[in-house]
Amino acid sequence: MTSRSNRLTSVLSDNRVGLLLLIIVLVVLIGSLKPMFFSPAFVIGPMLTSIAIFTVVGLAQMVVLSVGQMNLAVGGMAAIGAMGSAIVFQAFDVPLIVGIAVGLVVGGAVGALCGVLIAYAGVNSFVVTLAMSFALLGLVPAVYSWVSTGNAITVQTPGLAELGRSKLSDLCIGDTCGPDGVPLILFVAVAAMIVIGLLFSKARIGREILLTGSSDRAALLSAIPVPRRIITVHTLSGMLAALAGFMLGASTGSFTPGIGQEFMLQSFLGPILGGTLLAGGYVSVIGTFLGITITVVIRQGLLLFGVGIEGLNILLGTILLIALSADRIRSVAGARSRLRASRQQSPAKSKEEAVVS
Amino acid sequence: MSARLARLARDQNTILAAVIVAGVIVLTISSSGGFLSPISIETFFQFLAIPIVIGLAQMAALAVNQMNLAVGAIGGFAACSAAVLIADFGVPPWLGGIIAILIGLAAGVLNGLIVVLTQINGFIVTLATMTILSGAQYAIVGTRTITSANWPEIAAIGTARPLGIPLIFWIAVGIAILLSVAYRQTLFARNMLASGGNPLAATLSGISNNRSLVTAHGLSGLLCGVAAFLVLASLPGANKSIGEDWLLSSFAAPIIGGVSLTGGTVAVLGTVLAATIVRLVDSARAQFQLEPSWVNFVIGAVVLGTVALDRVRTRRPATRQRSRRPPPDAPPTAAARAIDPGAPA
Repeated sequence: MTSRSNRLTSVLSDNRVGLLLLIIVLVVLIGSLKPMFFSPAFVIGPMLTSIAIFTVVGLAQMVVLSVGQMNLAVGGMAAIGAMGSAIVFQAFDVPLIVGIAVGLVVGGAVGALCGVLIAYAGVNSFVVTLAMSFALLGLVPAVYSWVSTGNAITVQTPGLAELGRSKLSDLCIGDTCGPDGVPLILFVAVAAMIVIGLLFSKARIGREILLTGSSDRAALLSAIPVPRRIITVHTLSGMLAALAGFMLGASTGSFTPGIGQEFMLQSFLGPILGGTLLAGGYVSVIGTFLGITITVVIRQGLLLFGVGIEGLNILLGTILLIALSADRIRSVAGARSRLRASRQQSPAKSKEEAVVS
Repeated sequence: MSARLARLARDQNTILAAVIVAGVIVLTISSSGGFLSPISIETFFQFLAIPIVIGLAQMAALAVNQMNLAVGAIGGFAACSAAVLIADFGVPPWLGGIIAILIGLAAGVLNGLIVVLTQINGFIVTLATMTILSGAQYAIVGTRTITSANWPEIAAIGTARPLGIPLIFWIAVGIAILLSVAYRQTLFARNMLASGGNPLAATLSGISNNRSLVTAHGLSGLLCGVAAFLVLASLPGANKSIGEDWLLSSFAAPIIGGVSLTGGTVAVLGTVLAATIVRLVDSARAQFQLEPSWVNFVIGAVVLGTVALDRVRTRRPATRQRSRRPPPDAPPTAAARAIDPGAPA
């Protein structure tokens, strides 16, 4: 009886359920006021593409938040990763998969450099990644203007346009075609979500990262190589950011230094709205996806109502502040319920804290 | 100990000054003397005033172990609001200038209050207010540029040249001197430094850390407001792009200038000297006609290098001490520090 009602309240208080309900309400509300919202080619398709790209950006931030740190260079890492892919496509005419791999390696290397500085030099993660973002802010446009005329690389590699811009309706098996308005690139994001989700829930390394995030001291005493795990999350973050940069480049067809400029705010909004704690130790992959979805839906809806980009910025900043205050309230409430749980001496409860969804 | 620290600080400034001298010599030789012409010197100082003030604005936040990502947004919003008030609502220009400064102060105090009330990391709070304010800046000014012909009284300050050097540079220097005296002499500034250096010790000495946070963010915002005033005085007009490129130089000046990133110290002279070096790099860029992005790369790389080296340098004595007598089960400090972002939030 008690466990049943507990489960019910925990489902209702789970903010992912709240987010999902909010998304449904918003979609119905906007759709009924502006039927244009359901246009597969003009609204749904581009919206799902944005959701796909920003979800990967959100995951890039989430993996670093899992140890209680931050990556302010997500945009820069996305830009340099995409640039790496574009240069090998242009110079060596490599197949699609090789280009993606080069981009991920470049992004991962930059992330690893940040991780090494943070873990071994002992510098605060904000400062390292902020300084890195400044260096990348200058390096990326400089390299672009050096290797290409006109500050952009247009890539013609076979398969890129299909990956970036085709929809399920272009894929037909016999006579049945997929629905219009679902872009193929969404599946790249889904794949990234599955990999990261499995990493945190099933793999030993993911559990070690989460334990590092909830208590570094406990992690050290449990023989977890904490500095190495910090480098791991930053490398992973760089790779995910590079993947997002590549996806953005693929969806527009041209790789420019502007890739990643809008990533920073979104990267924090998604995980925080989705319930990932800033303090570390808890992540939510589905929550990140839902958090990104709600911001993109709001953005798209307001654009349909003719609200300009300035209004969007004001609103997104306000949402971030409100979400953070909620995060604070949640962590205070969480600490209180943990206290109560520890008084009741239920050892099973404390294990659930690090649970991933 | 304090004598050694003082010598260290002097060393840092000596190095910075030497870099400036070397840079000036190189630029003078490579431009065959053109760099020292009166008009070139005038331009150099004209565009040095704002970087100095925004560097000091960031320094004020760093002193309490906070960051202010909103420097550019506060400055841009304040400048554009004042411009709109003067041009569209007939507010007298001098009043508009004061309003710009007050808007900066109000925005900074608001940042501080949000940080204190929500206990959220100042970085995230200012990320949010940066987004909001830059949106508001665009909302009020739109795509137009309001020319400085609307505020001739303030623009006159921008064109004044006492002793052949722009007045706005003297204003920036005056602010630096004021701050330097304040951080040495006044109680409120000493309290901020105490809170930034060790919040627990500050609390035990009866200092309110919350008040220090609000004061520091307020001071940071006030200086952004002053920078907005200097924008009105020196630039041909105000538009939505004011403040967009302030972030990097605001961090570069204090970090290269020797301000500790863990709070508790300020380096006013170092910040001014470092801002001068950044300006020299920019002059060199213009002289050799390189891509502007190379400047960002050089400055960013120097900041990254300074951050890494600084921490290694300050950590070494502590590590040596520990290796002599290792406590039984203490975690490696680098790892422990890396996990704890060290913010007082």
